[in-house]
Amino acid sequence: MRQSLVAALPVALAIAVFGTIYGATAVPLVGAGPAVLASLIIFSGSLQFALASLLVTAAPLSAILITAVTLNLRHLLLGAALRPRLPGSPLRRAALAWFMIDESAGLALATRADASLILLVTGVLAYVSWTLGTWIGTLGAALTELRGISEAVFPVLFVGLAAISANRGHLLVRAGAAAAIALALALLWPPWRGVAPAIAALLVALPPHRGGPE
Amino acid sequence: MSLLLILALGAMTYGSRAAALVLMPPPPGWLRGILERIPAPLFAGLAVLPLVSADGTLRASTPILAAFVASLLSVPFRSLLLTLAAGLIGYAVGGILGR
Repeated sequence: MRQSLVAALPVALAIAVFGTIYGATAVPLVGAGPAVLASLIIFSGSLQFALASLLVTAAPLSAILITAVTLNLRHLLLGAALRPRLPGSPLRRAALAWFMIDESAGLALATRADASLILLVTGVLAYVSWTLGTWIGTLGAALTELRGISEAVFPVLFVGLAAISANRGHLLVRAGAAAAIALALALLWPPWRGVAPAIAALLVALPPHRGGPE
Repeated sequence: MSLLLILALGAMTYGSRAAALVLMPPPPGWLRGILERIPAPLFAGLAVLPLVSADGTLRASTPILAAFVASLLSVPFRSLLLTLAAGLIGYAVGGILGR
């Protein structure tokens, strides 16, 4: 339990900062109540930020729904990778699914200990810090410096998650290749940049490993 | 943003999380091998995504690039805390250099 908390705390801190930015961004668009409610019910930073930018441009409902489907596709990949690590009843896995965000899934996949416990501890801390951060943001926290830091924190956080997930040399090579492909796709194909990481990950994961056991 | 839209997006998001964990059977061996190779590349792809803006141009501010490079230097240590610390130090150094 202590090990899970130590692993989860830096993630929760980063998510709280990002939640604060989200809260401050969303208030002028939708008001404080709906902004906090969205964090409580949707609990997805990438989707909520995308939603905010779509609301700014008065995008139609169809664009919002297509964006949600696109961004949520990666959950299928992460869930499928996590599934063998999560024993227990469907009801138990259904409860854990609420807490399966990118960060909690990354830590759970990287651990050699109980993946369910890591997923739960990280997910609960992330949920609390995301919602609390949103609420603080709606109160009008001073944001100029926080915004810059948050733009840097998420690339850094995902570099860290990639590093701890790449527990073999060939995975590190695949991760580098996926980063290059995702970057190229996002630059060449901006409207679909949300699916670029999933496409890149699938492409580099398909070739089998030829150099001994996985 | 109506309550209905929030509920619909919440249901879609939770549904995508639960689909693989609850509805799908455990993957067969060949698929399991592929799935085990996905997380690290997926996170690496997500790491570079914030560096590209919605119109397809690079967001190349010095502090963000410095944070990114510093975090890459910490990869061999495979520690999330160390990577975050390296990134924040890189961000601070980049801020000084960018002035």
